Amino acid sequence: MQGDTAAARHLASCHLCLKLADASLHHCPRCGEPLHLRKSNSLQRTLALLVTACVLYIPANVLPIMITDQLGSVEPSTILGGVVLLIDMGSMPIAAVIFIASVMVPLGKLIALFYLCWSVSRGRHINTRQRTVIYRATELIGKWSMVDVFVVSILVALVHLTGLLVILPGAAAVAFAGVVIVTIIAAESFDPRIIWDQQEQTDE
Amino acid sequence: MACPSCDLLYDVAGLRDGEKASCSRCGDFLTRMRSDGFIKLQSYAIAGLVSLMIGCAFPFLSFKSSGLESVMTLPQMVIQLYEQGRPDLAFLVAAFIIALPAAVLVLLLVLSTCIIRQRYYAWMVPVTRLVFHMQSWSMVEVFFIGVLVSLVKIGHMATVVIGLSFWGYGAFSVLFIFAIASLDRLQYWNELDRLAGLQHAG
Ligand SMILES: [Zn+2]
Ligand SMILES: [Zn+2]
Repeated sequence: MQGDTAAARHLASCHLCLKLADASLHHCPRCGEPLHLRKSNSLQRTLALLVTACVLYIPANVLPIMITDQLGSVEPSTILGGVVLLIDMGSMPIAAVIFIASVMVPLGKLIALFYLCWSVSRGRHINTRQRTVIYRATELIGKWSMVDVFVVSILVALVHLTGLLVILPGAAAVAFAGVVIVTIIAAESFDPRIIWDQQEQTDE
Repeated sequence: MACPSCDLLYDVAGLRDGEKASCSRCGDFLTRMRSDGFIKLQSYAIAGLVSLMIGCAFPFLSFKSSGLESVMTLPQMVIQLYEQGRPDLAFLVAAFIIALPAAVLVLLLVLSTCIIRQRYYAWMVPVTRLVFHMQSWSMVEVFFIGVLVSLVKIGHMATVVIGLSFWGYGAFSVLFIFAIASLDRLQYWNELDRLAGLQHAG
């Protein structure tokens, strides 16, 4: 037996403090956050942010993420180049960590969010629970892609032996941080409740 | 309350101490009743702030090669990025790993202390909102994994010495996660509502 949804009773649930309030109010009576029955323009906003993230993803992979200056010989390396180098050195576990965090997580997140937007816009009502789980996973793993940006930051600060060995930050580090931030905001603008709304419509 | 993921309505008022509620339709976590939640929150916040101070004040890692040595502290890392022409990166890193998590813990310490003493002030509402907004942008645990990856990455190039701040920050990242885990949205706001009601009645 399933109960009612808040929306069916014309109640909006505050995303910040979880208070239920009359959906005609514009701000939460308890905490003052903007109140919506569903996040406004959730699909359009998420899609726009996803496209932005895709555009940023290009310089993030093409430009060098860090530049190694060893005895005057300058060697830029990209994200993928860094992974290949780690495999060559035999550090498979670290190569796997960087590959998962910097390649698989951001790409997986983009694909998952595109899929969620597509399935909602097509009005599909299958795998509702799985899609909610996918959504929560994208929310959870988002910030882990920052690992490589932090690694570059640490190496830049730590490996600083002037004239002998210096590591400099590359432009891709900023572009990549941008991808991570924009996808986090994209996941936040998506409203998982719209996945369930369609199922209710078909149930009726 | 309504499930944040699927909007189904629930009555969670009858939850007993230690009990946890999840959504039966989508499986999302709803709330957990904990009578000692605020005491735990306060202790984790204090311990976390002390470890962060240790994490910032001493050498984090040092790197030795061919008789040369470079020592890194966390504040220096931010300065270094700034000086290398990446003020944007310096700002992001400082915000995600030091400024935002530190601000979250300071504010949580103040808020939990007020709640434990059963005090209510009108500013607690906007401050709590701020904490919830900042909390999702803290990346302390991600940074610590980054530190471990860096260690392996350069460990073969030269001698890397682990400093006191490394342990301080490690402890901080664990305590920060514990503090956030003991902060239950629904229970927190209900308690704030109750205190506000007491004040109006008295
Ligand atoms: Zn609210
Ligand atoms: Zn649910």
